Amino acid sequence: MSGIESAYAALAAERGLAPLGAAALGPLTPLLVESGDGGVSPAFRGRFGEADVVVGELAYTRNKTFRFNVAFASVPASTAFVPRLFCIRRGRRTRDDEFYGFEARDSKLWTESIALNERYVVSTSPFQDPIWMRQLFSPAFVDWLATTPPADFSFELAYGALLGSVEEDDPGAEGLAALAEATAAVAARIDAECAESGG
Amino acid sequence: MQVNRLGIALIAFFGLVGLALAIAPFALGVPAQVAWILAMIGVIWFLVAAGLALFARRQQAKAAHQDWVFQNGIRGTATVLDAGSHATVNEMPVMKLKLRLDVPGVAGAEVSRREVMSVFAARRMEPGLQLPVYVNPGDHGDFVLVW
Repeated sequence: MSGIESAYAALAAERGLAPLGAAALGPLTPLLVESGDGGVSPAFRGRFGEADVVVGELAYTRNKTFRFNVAFASVPASTAFVPRLFCIRRGRRTRDDEFYGFEARDSKLWTESIALNERYVVSTSPFQDPIWMRQLFSPAFVDWLATTPPADFSFELAYGALLGSVEEDDPGAEGLAALAEATAAVAARIDAECAESGG
Repeated sequence: MQVNRLGIALIAFFGLVGLALAIAPFALGVPAQVAWILAMIGVIWFLVAAGLALFARRQQAKAAHQDWVFQNGIRGTATVLDAGSHATVNEMPVMKLKLRLDVPGVAGAEVSRREVMSVFAARRMEPGLQLPVYVNPGDHGDFVLVW
């Protein structure tokens, strides 16, 4: 058993997670699209905080092999308020081999918070309601994002699918738990803001 | 669509090198036959760059208009009734969407819209999906879909 497999086994034993073997999350977020069908292996499902989370290792090869440990949760109410929200660790790369001169006008940087922007590149739809974004990124949430999640944590929210991820190849059982808990916390925050907005 | 930094660099490269190829051989006294071949290549490159620059400028104007509708439009909801794609641009699906608009003060309407979308977004355009929409108060057929 490799180091990362041992880490997942330890996490599953500690948290009572159900083994899924290999699971295809589907091309639901940009990172999952990069990987093809969003296949994660090994994969486990369980409760973290208020969320039902699938954790697993995502690996794919473009011009080189990229490895991420990911946590997936659903936030279906978010689509009506924030169809897309990407909070990506500054400096992260997910592809090296393809570039084009023209692209869909599909993102706008969110630059309201200095603390947030020192650590992450935050982007949304170009037509995202800025007032709703300010409510979501409350001072407490910004402070939490800037200080609490694992150092290489990023998340992508797309049409209700939330994917948290870290780049470290083998973060150990504690690191995987921190990833899942951070993703669950983001899901809970987004869900709460949607509920407050009438979703 | 929008031109990105690489696009600007490509337009500049093809435009400037095309111009140089069209002019320099004659100025440097290159044999006529070679100079004309290089000039023809240069003109083609320059025309391609000019066409792309024109396209980029139109897209910029369209984006500015969309920004205006977003800032000044009436917010409502668009429900996806049907979605499909038969073409791609730079690996991004060109989605043909049939939508029902529910906007306060505006009679409900079914409209069609083509959007170039990221793959992950295109995959999620299924009947029943509800998305925010902003409608131009002066022209209810003019709207921005938040996808």
